[in-house]
Amino acid sequence: MQRNASLPCVHSLRVHGVVEESIVDGPGLRFVVFTQGCLHGCPGCHNPATHSFGEGYETTPQALLTQFATNPLLAGVTFSGGEPFLQPEPLAFLAKQVHALGKTVVVYTGYTLEALYPLAQERPAVASLLEQTDLLIDGPYVAALRELDSGLKGSSNQRILDNEAIGSLWNVLQLRQGNVPNG
Amino acid sequence: MAKQIVKRDGCSVLFDSSKILNAIAKANKAVGEEEITATGLLFVTEEVCRLLEARSLSNVEEIQDVVEEVLIRFGFSKTAKAYILYRAEHTKIRDAETYLMDIYKKLTWAPAKEEDIKRENANIDGDTAMGTMLRYGSEGSKFFIDNYVLPKDAAAGHANGDIHIHDKDFYMLTETCCQIDLIRLFKKGFSTGHGYLREPNSIESYAALACIALQANQNEMHGGQSIPNFDFAMAQGVNKTFRKEYVAAFACFLEVKNELDAAEAVARTEVLLQGLPYQPTLGNGEAFGQALLACHGETMRPLLAKTHLHATQKAIQATRRRTYQAMEAFIHNLNTMNSRAGAQVPFSSVNYGTDVSAEGRMVVENLLLATKAGLGNGETSIFPVQIFKVKAGVSFNPEDPNYDLFRLAMETSARRLFPNFSFLDAPFNAQYYREGDYNSEVAYMGCRTRVIGNVYDTERQVTCGRGNLSFTTVNLPRLGLEAKGNTAAFFTLLDERIDLVFRQLLHRFKVQGSKKVYNYPFLMGQGIWLDSEHLKWEDSIEEVLKHGTLTIGFIGLAEALYALLGKHHGQCEQAQALGLQIVQHLRRRADEKARETGLNFSLIATPAEGLSGRFVALDKQRYGTLEGITDKDYYTNSFHVPVSFSIAAFRKIQLEAPYHALTNAGHISYVELDGDASKNLEAFETIVRFMHAQGVGYGSINHPLDRDPVCGYIGVIDDCCPRCGRKEGEGVSEEALLQLKKQYHDVPM
Repeated sequence: MQRNASLPCVHSLRVHGVVEESIVDGPGLRFVVFTQGCLHGCPGCHNPATHSFGEGYETTPQALLTQFATNPLLAGVTFSGGEPFLQPEPLAFLAKQVHALGKTVVVYTGYTLEALYPLAQERPAVASLLEQTDLLIDGPYVAALRELDSGLKGSSNQRILDNEAIGSLWNVLQLRQGNVPNG
Repeated sequence: MAKQIVKRDGCSVLFDSSKILNAIAKANKAVGEEEITATGLLFVTEEVCRLLEARSLSNVEEIQDVVEEVLIRFGFSKTAKAYILYRAEHTKIRDAETYLMDIYKKLTWAPAKEEDIKRENANIDGDTAMGTMLRYGSEGSKFFIDNYVLPKDAAAGHANGDIHIHDKDFYMLTETCCQIDLIRLFKKGFSTGHGYLREPNSIESYAALACIALQANQNEMHGGQSIPNFDFAMAQGVNKTFRKEYVAAFACFLEVKNELDAAEAVARTEVLLQGLPYQPTLGNGEAFGQALLACHGETMRPLLAKTHLHATQKAIQATRRRTYQAMEAFIHNLNTMNSRAGAQVPFSSVNYGTDVSAEGRMVVENLLLATKAGLGNGETSIFPVQIFKVKAGVSFNPEDPNYDLFRLAMETSARRLFPNFSFLDAPFNAQYYREGDYNSEVAYMGCRTRVIGNVYDTERQVTCGRGNLSFTTVNLPRLGLEAKGNTAAFFTLLDERIDLVFRQLLHRFKVQGSKKVYNYPFLMGQGIWLDSEHLKWEDSIEEVLKHGTLTIGFIGLAEALYALLGKHHGQCEQAQALGLQIVQHLRRRADEKARETGLNFSLIATPAEGLSGRFVALDKQRYGTLEGITDKDYYTNSFHVPVSFSIAAFRKIQLEAPYHALTNAGHISYVELDGDASKNLEAFETIVRFMHAQGVGYGSINHPLDRDPVCGYIGVIDDCCPRCGRKEGEGVSEEALLQLKKQYHDVPM
């Protein structure tokens, strides 16, 4: 997806916590931000403590970026959750700063890309975050389809989409919407 | 006069008054003054005998009481005192003997899981006949060393936990370890001391004889055995195998193509391949083909070209297959073959990664593939400890000839925990490196031992034929506690300990140096140890031993810093600065001692995990449970940041790397990864490259392997367990488990 030139600086987001160095949340060593708050409620979720919206703590993209930048080994940042797309503004901003450092961005979401599309119509930052995403693992966790062999996915219904795949699927969604009269 | 006396064990022996006289004479001599003349001695003895008879005494203890009484009565009070001391000391030894017999009883009757003493060495099965026999020997030896051999200060320091003399039971016997040059050993064959072996001629024999060499040497030394140049050594076996396969395939092609009988085809092959400037090898296929064609007439050339092509392809295939099987057998052998009276497998290490020849590369590729595949049903093997040599220009960068092997090594390590990685570009290692000379490449023995520098013979700063002679470790946390927060006091105490360790190492070296070549028929008799090939069977080995290292080690830097500053080096910069100062001091003292004696005194980051538990237990007794110091089961390994302290990998590497440069007798840093590294090689490589950049000498990346709680399998488990075949949530029948137990020692019951 084409990346927009500028994004507004957003001051805060609610997170459950961070992992400074993870090897299980995308390629290379990654700084993982677990956002707080999720509506999917997938049975068997491995992070149920991140579901409520009241817990966790407030922080700023700048604070996270500062912490991220001290570690020379990091390949990039991973947004996990919680549901990252419920706080797309600060995350899109942080993702852009991470890109500016030459590092990559991986995002986990319980939405499918198709489900994100209508959200993006109301909240432009959803699209901005997708633009800043190098690798998206999308779709809810389905316990019956649990699959560990691939390494990144939790269940086989989920997809691993790179930025190019996100872009072309997004285009398809736009076309499809354009074909429906009066959208 | 009593005709019989009753000894302590209840048996009677004939009374002999000269024994009384000798004992009094000895006691008198020990005093050095108050001299009793010969007549005086006779007089006193007679008086003792008279009293014994008068009182009808015949028991040894009673006799000794009378001796004391008579000495005091006649005014020889100092002699009496010496006599009493002598008696007390022997009582102590006798008590200790009872103690030893108690140990023997435990070794004999109690199951290993109930007795710590039977589990002291994890590699020995204390429940088996040979394991127990080995432990009898070890315990008996320790008793002998403690009571009759060690200087008093060293014995006391070891017993109370100031220092730890490693492999003390072998004090009178041998040295720690050796880096074996198989290329030299194999030339013209060798004898293990039990049988003579010809020079090997195929990769299978090279690999089998490598195991035999490790095994034979393991039986003569108490530490690990290492092959520092595994790829270079095995490459020669691949070379010989390829040549034979080439010739055979060449003959085979002629046999079919020209409809010759087999013998005729072989004879023709011989003629055709005669008189060429060189032999066919794995790497020179094209050049050899051209030379072959150039040697023969126009009419022969089309046939020869086809034959050569066929022979080359077949030989490559066959050699690869045979090399894989040879490497697989090598690993299997080293995990199953016995040494030390059949109670242990040899503690083996192999270093490789810098041979860029086609043969050497084939060896490493197949060793890694076999390691990755695992033992039997995909089990993770423990031996040999494998060390991949990382070197820019050879194996480190994508354009390097062995970069592909480095990648494969990481892939293998991510699945099997081995190989570890050694860094030849670290400045302290690079100073010895000469391109193309394996003897100048630093190798590490599995536990981390490093031997290359040589003050005894500066022309011979080499890897092969050398090893550690012995090492002794200082308990740093205790010094920290004794110093009570006073850094200057700490260094004063540290110097005292260092002096003690140096004295003790030299004492042990004297013992070791008194040995002869015939005490080590393989190590010295076969010329494995540097310069031993110039010695005769009855010669002393003292001079050649000087190529080895005498090493001081340390444990618990983190706890010592905590005792001094209330923080360890992972927590504050001041602690890191002091930590470096302490280890620099240890190194400086070792260097000074080396210059003074011309012996290779050196400093090691002590590995022993069992020892770190012993020290902490002793200090807990003495000082109680202290937060951050004795409130744990183990002192932290050498200079490591405590395992329980949460720290990012890059910080840990940055903090520990400077200590690698200081510990010239060996070091290792571990990075723990949380998750399956085999699915994220990029992360794995990032860390190895950072170790390289920071000047780490030897590093290892650990990651939790999965363990199936039902069948005990340890390794990477995805959806299905490779050993018992169950998926998560499924069970395994009792019967199937019992069957697995016979095959695998670690099935939980």
